[in-house]
Amino acid sequence: MTRADKILLAGLLLISLLSVAVLYGRFSIFPAKAEPVQAVITAQGKLVRKIYLTEGVNSSLVIQGRVGPATVEVDGTRIRMMGAPCTGQVCVKEGWIGRPGQTIVCMPGEILIRIEGAAPVDAVTR
Amino acid sequence: MNRKTGLLFVAILLIGGLATLQYFRRSYEYSSDQFLMDTLVSIKAYGKDPSTVKRAVAAAYAEMHRIAELADGFPQPGTATYRSSDVCRINEQAGKKPVRVDADIMAMLLLAKKYNQMSDGAFDVTIGPVMDLWGFGDKNPHVPSQEQIRSALTLVNSNDLMIDEQQHTVFLRRAGMKLDLGALAKGYATEKAIQALKKNGIRKALLDAGGSIRVLGVNLRNAPWRIGIKDPRKADAIVAVLPLQDASAVTSGDYYRYFEAGGKRYHHILDPRTGYPATSNMSVTVVTQDAGLADILSTVFFILSPDKALEMARKMAGVELFMITADGHIRHTPPLLSGIEVKAGESYLYDQGR
Amino acid sequence: MRDRTRRLVFLALLVAMATALHVVEGMLPLPLPIPGAKLGLANIITLLAIYLYGFRDGLTVALMRVVLGSLISGMFLSPGFMLGLSGAACCTLVMALLLKYTNCFSMIGVSLAGAVGHNLGQLLAACLLLQSGAIIYYLPVLLIAGLPTGFITGFLLNSLLVHDRKSGILRDLVRT
Repeated sequence: MTRADKILLAGLLLISLLSVAVLYGRFSIFPAKAEPVQAVITAQGKLVRKIYLTEGVNSSLVIQGRVGPATVEVDGTRIRMMGAPCTGQVCVKEGWIGRPGQTIVCMPGEILIRIEGAAPVDAVTR
Repeated sequence: MNRKTGLLFVAILLIGGLATLQYFRRSYEYSSDQFLMDTLVSIKAYGKDPSTVKRAVAAAYAEMHRIAELADGFPQPGTATYRSSDVCRINEQAGKKPVRVDADIMAMLLLAKKYNQMSDGAFDVTIGPVMDLWGFGDKNPHVPSQEQIRSALTLVNSNDLMIDEQQHTVFLRRAGMKLDLGALAKGYATEKAIQALKKNGIRKALLDAGGSIRVLGVNLRNAPWRIGIKDPRKADAIVAVLPLQDASAVTSGDYYRYFEAGGKRYHHILDPRTGYPATSNMSVTVVTQDAGLADILSTVFFILSPDKALEMARKMAGVELFMITADGHIRHTPPLLSGIEVKAGESYLYDQGR
Repeated sequence: MRDRTRRLVFLALLVAMATALHVVEGMLPLPLPIPGAKLGLANIITLLAIYLYGFRDGLTVALMRVVLGSLISGMFLSPGFMLGLSGAACCTLVMALLLKYTNCFSMIGVSLAGAVGHNLGQLLAACLLLQSGAIIYYLPVLLIAGLPTGFITGFLLNSLLVHDRKSGILRDLVRT
């Protein structure tokens, strides 16, 4: 092993450690800003509203579904179906959603709320 | 020699380059949602040519609509959908005369009979009369009296479901009997839709029929599709992630359609042997290639006791089972171990050895 | 004519040896719990080929080894193959540059640089294939993993060459 070898080895080691510090340390120094996710609401196949789910912004809106009006509530980064004109109330029981890939479906009203963005899984079996 | 070496480099670079290009080529994605069979059906399909992909997806939905119409059990009598439903006509002629039916209804009922026998009656499509008593789809579902259930149960028996394959007819032997294909129609239709996609040249697709999943090929990252299994008790949580390739994953759970009465939860998967909701499991997921089979088996395994279900699943080739039992244990068939990520958390007990 | 035939035969032998090492190494359970980190024993042969014949033949041996190895293990044109191809090319380039333009490094130093180059090449290909920059967070892991593996392969080749300096077998084979 020559001197140059040793210098190279030391240099590479230093670079590796530096890269560890830079890449992994960054998470703590500059915490990644969470992108606001978007909730897309469709009724009977047509787009009704796109809403950014942002912290501190609350609203409620009424969607005209196939069997009557349904109330959607937005609370900051989450959204839910507050009231629906259907018998099963499956969508209301679903509760709040807010993570990419999640959906709330109102069957009789044909209303669909979907959170857009890259989901950690391709689909969920239930 | 030098020239040959040069040629060799060019060849290797060419192969490598082409392979990279092939890899890079973005395929066209077309996704579409439709309300069908009492649920939301989403199809995501990929292909090179937009018009082919759209045509394939349309063909898949058409196939599902066709099966849905044939198997629909609840339209109003006298309407067009009522007349086009084979299941309604069979129910109407119960105890009277055999009814000529479509080949797909025939295939579904043959499957239903087969798994009725294999499960010793834990799966039964003649559960209709008991289902009606509970009224899960109605405004006010309620717990029927024991007497009502006992008398309705006398009409539940797949041995009285007569299928004549030569004549293409189906006959419910006793008046008052009623078919309910809820436990298999969706899966069967899903498989039909996937076959339609395949026939139209689609190699990569995901079909989500209200949580019953069937995938073709691999996902956009060229890895198996990642399918989450819903936590049966926490609204937006996942208990496990399965890699899925050219297969389906169907779940039966006690949380999907239910009502509460007297502090107890009553869900819609009835045990045909008792007439009451099955109580052995919270959630049962079946992974196998055919979505129709997965749909049937998820119901069968949900109703059977966990030990019996696991034993039956082990004996079937190409069938995987993942279950959360009523006492909160996560259990599954051994081959699922490769590739599955279980996130049991504090809510469930998971012993890998079992 | 005789020289060319000799060279051809010897290069073919090197390719065969490299392929064998590559495939056998793939069969061994990973000594490290890091995907993508391998001992890279086949790099010994690549480096030997560069040392004896130069960059071009070294690259031939390296690329042929990846192609043949992937054909044998059934991974031809798979993502893993693409990563291996890119890694082998980068590795060969780095090692050839060091051998040609510097003389202060022993085989250990050259091999170290080669191993790191190999991992960087793999990472680059992975970035392109996955079309995501997120994989860059894997960089430190691969960098660090390259150091011991590069050292070991370099050390092995160094021992071989020290031995050869006495016996002169390799030099005879190449020159005559």
